Amino acid sequence: MPFEMIVGAWVATGLTLLIFSFLYKDNPLFKLAEHLYVGVSVGYVIVKTYDTVIVHLVVKPIVENGEIALLIPVAIGMLMLTRYVPKAAWMSRYAFAFIVGMGAGLAIPRTVSSFILKQVEDTIRPLLSMTGSEGVTFSMNLLNPASHLNAIIIFIGVSSVLFYFFFSIEHSGVGKAVARTGILFLMISFGAGFGYTVMARMSLLIGRLTDLIEFSDTSYGRPTVWLSLLTVGALFLLARRGREQPPDIH
Amino acid sequence: MWMAGMTFSEKMLKIDRRIIFVMIGLCTLLPLLYPVGLPIKTSSEVRGVYDHIESLPEGSVFLLSIDFDPASKPELYPQAIALLRHAFKKNLHVITMTLWVSGTGMADQLVTQVAKEMGKENGTDYTFLGWSPGGQAVIINMGQDLYSAYPSDYRGKPTRELPILEGVRSLKDVSYLVSLGAGRPGVEEWYVFGKDKYKFEMGGGCTGVMAPGLYPLLRSGQINGLIGGLRGAAEYENLIGQKGKAVAGMDAQSATHLAIIALVIMCNLFYFSLRQQRG
Repeated sequence: MPFEMIVGAWVATGLTLLIFSFLYKDNPLFKLAEHLYVGVSVGYVIVKTYDTVIVHLVVKPIVENGEIALLIPVAIGMLMLTRYVPKAAWMSRYAFAFIVGMGAGLAIPRTVSSFILKQVEDTIRPLLSMTGSEGVTFSMNLLNPASHLNAIIIFIGVSSVLFYFFFSIEHSGVGKAVARTGILFLMISFGAGFGYTVMARMSLLIGRLTDLIEFSDTSYGRPTVWLSLLTVGALFLLARRGREQPPDIH
Repeated sequence: MWMAGMTFSEKMLKIDRRIIFVMIGLCTLLPLLYPVGLPIKTSSEVRGVYDHIESLPEGSVFLLSIDFDPASKPELYPQAIALLRHAFKKNLHVITMTLWVSGTGMADQLVTQVAKEMGKENGTDYTFLGWSPGGQAVIINMGQDLYSAYPSDYRGKPTRELPILEGVRSLKDVSYLVSLGAGRPGVEEWYVFGKDKYKFEMGGGCTGVMAPGLYPLLRSGQINGLIGGLRGAAEYENLIGQKGKAVAGMDAQSATHLAIIALVIMCNLFYFSLRQQRG
């Protein structure tokens, strides 16, 4: 087993256990791991961004290939930094205007096309397919997502949910029934979302426990066993010290 | 805290949350230590991705965008491993990249590990382009000129000189793309700024949290398959016949789901019973 793998296993196990210690109660060990996580993540992102953007995409092409045109985006980017100089802060608005304008220009047409027009088309098209050259056809299979019955359910769901969010008309009488139907569809959607969220969170727990089981092997030096004992011992000492010290009234 | 005079329902609703943590922990740990091998049924959405890769002729260009970081590793790493094994087994030209700067090192390790296991050579059989800043702008840039979006690969080799990228000038030359996304940029951005504009076939993989939000894209045919969470990864591992960490985790997943369903039912029973007692 390479040495760096063993060190990595000990670090991963230790940090996992420190984070898990929060399940007992908030404690300094958890805070240590939490701060380490934030610090390492930010540090990693800064180093990777500097290396990729500044070194490989800006400095090298300009110095080695003479791509002077790159100085234009660099200058626009530098304008952002004028935010730190109050007298020159107005210049940063040009950079923001460029970013907002470009971002909106790129995103709005594509998003409208992909998420609104395409989805509206897909809600209506299956209904139109019921009437073809062979007359009216209707498939009732609930298990087939493409069946006409499901198409009608989706159409009712989309219409009622949209109506629920339409506040210009009072939700009374027939409107109340439609809005209630919309709530029903929303509840089903939230339920599906909650179910998938539980699955995702449990998957994360399974991932950590799988690693802890793997690292309890002798080839790694059993970090799971030793560090579990150490974490439990540290939590015990912290709890004892907390009981001995009077609570801070300030 | 329990107090004298509390009814059973009150006591249960005020139970120490650490007891629930221990219960969920045991429901996860025990099946991992003693697996029973519950059957895994393949869903049509996972099969959609598998069937499309299976239908690609040898030498087709397969782009895998690893759009996640270590925080989503337990769910998406097994998906990526299964997809790469399948693509390498089919002798596809595999191009990998990431839109998440925090996932760069992990993605490199992942691609290198699977390529080594399958006996593939960097630059000839596969490449890892690394990360490029801009998110959606990178996708648009790749659609116009891949060499400009990525002048060099992760190892610093100029992309124009890579044998695997011969004839691959833009996204239009990609036969199939799968984005494994844990958020933004991810599957949606690849569809909106990539597939919808440059017309290539595309599938997706995502964390469980994101899956319900991507089903509308699947149903409308905007993506032709979706691998959702660890469950989706297990289904894919089953399909390629190489069982890995995802399949191993399925018993634990089922056990914790049963425990949570039981807890939800019990909580509701205790809640309504308490409400009835109070009138």
